[in-house]
Amino acid sequence: MSLEISQGTPVEISEERALGGSQRQMVLNMGPQHPSTHGVLRVILTMEGETIVECDPVLGYLHRGVEKLGETHRYSQFVPWTDRTDYVAAPSNNLGYILAVEKLCGIEAPERATYWRMIMGELARLASHLVWLGTHALDIGALSMSLYCFRERESILDIFETFCGARLTTNMMEMGGFSREVPEKLPQMVRDFCNMFPEKQAEYEALLSANPIWLSRTRGVGVIEPEAAISMSLTGACLRGSGINYDIRKATPYLYYDRMDFEVPLGTRGDVYDRYLVRMEEMRQSISIIEQCLEQMPTDGPLSLSESPYVIPPHDSVMKTAEDMQRHFIWVIKGFSPPKGEVYQAIEHSKGELGYYVVSDGTPIPYRVRLRTPDFVNLQALPYMAKGAALADVVALIGTIDIVLGSVDR
Amino acid sequence: MAEEQQSGGPADSPGRRIWDTGHWGPTVPDEHEAVKAVREQFPDAFVDAVNFRDEMTIRVERPALRDVVAYLRDERSLQYNLLSDLTAVDMLRLRDNPRFDVVIQLYSIPRRQRLRVKAAFNDGDPVPSMVPLFEGANWLEREAYDMFGIVFEGHPDLRRMLLPDDWDEGHPLRKDYPLRGYREYVQPGFENPAPRVRSRFRRP
Repeated sequence: MSLEISQGTPVEISEERALGGSQRQMVLNMGPQHPSTHGVLRVILTMEGETIVECDPVLGYLHRGVEKLGETHRYSQFVPWTDRTDYVAAPSNNLGYILAVEKLCGIEAPERATYWRMIMGELARLASHLVWLGTHALDIGALSMSLYCFRERESILDIFETFCGARLTTNMMEMGGFSREVPEKLPQMVRDFCNMFPEKQAEYEALLSANPIWLSRTRGVGVIEPEAAISMSLTGACLRGSGINYDIRKATPYLYYDRMDFEVPLGTRGDVYDRYLVRMEEMRQSISIIEQCLEQMPTDGPLSLSESPYVIPPHDSVMKTAEDMQRHFIWVIKGFSPPKGEVYQAIEHSKGELGYYVVSDGTPIPYRVRLRTPDFVNLQALPYMAKGAALADVVALIGTIDIVLGSVDR
Repeated sequence: MAEEQQSGGPADSPGRRIWDTGHWGPTVPDEHEAVKAVREQFPDAFVDAVNFRDEMTIRVERPALRDVVAYLRDERSLQYNLLSDLTAVDMLRLRDNPRFDVVIQLYSIPRRQRLRVKAAFNDGDPVPSMVPLFEGANWLEREAYDMFGIVFEGHPDLRRMLLPDDWDEGHPLRKDYPLRGYREYVQPGFENPAPRVRSRFRRP
């Protein structure tokens, strides 16, 4: 075999020098700083031409030791830390932790507070799905999607801001309910959002669902077989996209999800496009749940269990009565001590099963706080899906798992 | 910790308790199908079953852990087919011996029921890996190894997960690991920080 170079010098390439076997493979490093990895994820890809032979995600660039911090803070002090794990859906993280600690203490929030918790949890799901849709479409090449999605997310963040004063790291939930009254204009804001959102979502679907470029990038890409999905402990849309019906809100309802009328969308083929459809339908169901909550919610009633020793006393009575001032002092300085024991509380986060495993030794500081974050476990599907896929598909595969590295690395 | 645990305790709020939804099966261990089945099938390995806040925990001996979980997964009447979570707890301050607990949260998708399986072991004891049963245990076990130094026997690729590969200062979630680590870390480029200058707005 000979090759003519432009100068005319013949170059001999012997058969032995042609690469064979493992020498044909090239190791490609993607990240840790890469626009499509949604944070600081590093993926080591072993390529053979355009095809991925092996994929090894390297995590930990955002590891802050949240579980260790949980063992050194009092129960109520850990709530802001849960915001910083999955920061695009902070109220859901608050909710899971607060439900676990409330279960440990044996208290339950009043009805109106529980409905508001559900509304905030569903809004957090919508905000998270909007970020996912915007960035996922941006990765694949639909630039304008991110502008539209972030526009609607802005209204959700406005609702959070009106409710608790913060937009991203909300620190919203408290033991036994909410210590502040819900602002008067908030129900109307939520209603306006519910009225406005469906037609915006129709715009997204008009842009994407039948778009030939979107279809060719997502259809048949990253297929997860149902058995493999269960074996890899996937949850959320990654599991439901493969047709397994497991939504914690339906399967083991918490809060008042057993009073809600909603459906769990399931995929059939388990590819990127099915997971896209599942999440789009979930957004529609979330709007329906929020509307049902607003309808069923009692108009007045307590927002907090003010009498419980585990709950911070309401601000008014702290200022007026000596007993509540003492209780407030002790609650803030010493914290509260749940009984000895252990609980595992799982909620349906926008990304899957978010579990908090809290062990109490009877002191005001938890003995162990474990965060079972959905995207850490779901990210295990990346090597499975990437094997045999093309390099260009990796960004679609990372996007379809829906990861937030703050939650993966904790 | 079983004898120290309280049996649920009274609820502070009247009416339906929010956790009392039957997601963990019967609250009395003797009535729980999984407890009965494991006790019958593994009489030597079964230690006890504890119920707290309606959550059922089965404690088994460490060497039989994989067999018990495999039985719970494959038995037609139980079908705990989803490994929700696998983690460990360092019991250093709660009991003398054995030091660690490995905690497995199982869920049965067809039966809609949860179950927790625990096994106690000492530092250095190999724990049977769950990867042959559930692929999803791979990273969870790597994380437990990273954070606690637990060696999982039969794990295909036991490396550090969240900490750097060359981390040589132990396992941070152990109770005897100091919160701020064993030494101070200096950010590159800040080895010799400038001396602190007293602000002119501050009182001398």
